[in-house]
Amino acid sequence: MPNNVYTLKNYRRRRRRRKMAASSMAGRVLTLCKQFQNVFRISSGINAKNAAVNLAKHYSHLYSPISSVSQYRTLHTTISRRGLDEFFDFPENWGEETVKSGAPWSAKHLRTKSNEDLHKLWYVLLKEKNMLLTLEQESKRQRVPMPSPERLRKVERSLIRLETVAKERETTLRLLQTGQEKGRPGAWRRNVLGYIYWYRFKEYAIPWYMNTRYMRKRFYTPKFVEPHIRLRIEKYLRDKYRKTNLKKRTLAKLKERFPHMKVPSS
Amino acid sequence: MRRTKGEELNEKVVVPKDYRYGTNRPWTIAAKRLNPPGKRRRKVFVEPIAPEDWTVLRGDTVEILAGKDKGKQGKVVQVFRHRNWVILQGLNTHYRYIGKTHDYPGTYIASEAPILLRDVALIDPSDRKPTEVEWKFTEEGDKVRVSVRTGCIIPKPVVERRDGIVPEQWKDGPKDTSPEDTVEKTFTPSLKTLEEEVMEKLGIQENRRQRKSYWY
Repeated sequence: MPNNVYTLKNYRRRRRRRKMAASSMAGRVLTLCKQFQNVFRISSGINAKNAAVNLAKHYSHLYSPISSVSQYRTLHTTISRRGLDEFFDFPENWGEETVKSGAPWSAKHLRTKSNEDLHKLWYVLLKEKNMLLTLEQESKRQRVPMPSPERLRKVERSLIRLETVAKERETTLRLLQTGQEKGRPGAWRRNVLGYIYWYRFKEYAIPWYMNTRYMRKRFYTPKFVEPHIRLRIEKYLRDKYRKTNLKKRTLAKLKERFPHMKVPSS
Repeated sequence: MRRTKGEELNEKVVVPKDYRYGTNRPWTIAAKRLNPPGKRRRKVFVEPIAPEDWTVLRGDTVEILAGKDKGKQGKVVQVFRHRNWVILQGLNTHYRYIGKTHDYPGTYIASEAPILLRDVALIDPSDRKPTEVEWKFTEEGDKVRVSVRTGCIIPKPVVERRDGIVPEQWKDGPKDTSPEDTVEKTFTPSLKTLEEEVMEKLGIQENRRQRKSYWY
């Protein structure tokens, strides 16, 4: 009988104990808001060094008093201190019909930038997108056309391109180091209806032989399904040949009407 | 839930297979009036021309070879690939009234009719006569249009952008990145992922070990 540490019951018990420990620690550390709790629970001392230190000295009065705890981290890592004004455009653009904006970032230019620059650019673009979305909502509320809505689409395209460049870099590194192109593991499996498909793995806390819901899944085809598979293949082939014949007939008709036409290669 | 007028105009238009394309785009009100869903018209046969063989572009000067305005040269304003049509500026016109109301007869204007691609030919820049054109590759590797008769290259027409921007006369706004900053190369290839590099720069140290998880 294997040791009973990894049974489901004990797993649940251990999870409850860990949760209680975390909550007591959180009481000591500053709890600004729920989503930052993970940041503050990091064990090793995060030295609030580099630019953050000097800023902390000047702007510490803006935050709630941090009492002599070595592990804290200031929120701002940028220079701009406009606060909620970043949700709005510059005051000189208020009430304008059109606002001038340049071209979006192209993937070619984004590929020449370092990872740090891309990281910073992402947040700059995100803040701009938030500003444009508030502008869009406000113009809907006031029943007024939004000035230059193409800016929003340009920013969205730039964000998509940035993401593709970051993904490209990740896949090249993964290919180099492991030989796999896709990050998520999977396998070719057969399902109940007889189809072979790429089953993408999921992450679980317990091994497969302990997962009762996973054990109930059927990755095989029962014997009585096989005649139906053959019928399905026949139907698919019939459809395929019908389509090719239709294409041939239409091409022949067109050739008779336009004798000088060039037959398309596809 | 009822769709608003704006949403109705913005949604993607699904067009049946035997749709007869006209000069109006399928999502406009005029097209919906002429081709309501369920309307079936006699089929028009369109000569299939592959996208890479299409020689006439918007802004080109072409000459008409057949029809009312035979022998005249004009600039291409609009191209319809689904019907192999070309609309030239001020040529092949018919006259009609627009803006007719109950008491006002309307303005009498000349409107251009589309011409088939077969009845139109590109003009050779050297002798200003219509020629047949082929796509060929130059020594540098660019794809250009070459006239079959003389071998002269026909340059691509300069078309003004729809938003009216001229790239040579553009001045950057406060939120635009300057050209020098855009072109500046800061990337140094390394064996670190984006996350690792950013964590290093920000001074984040992650000493937690990931708990054992199972993938299946």
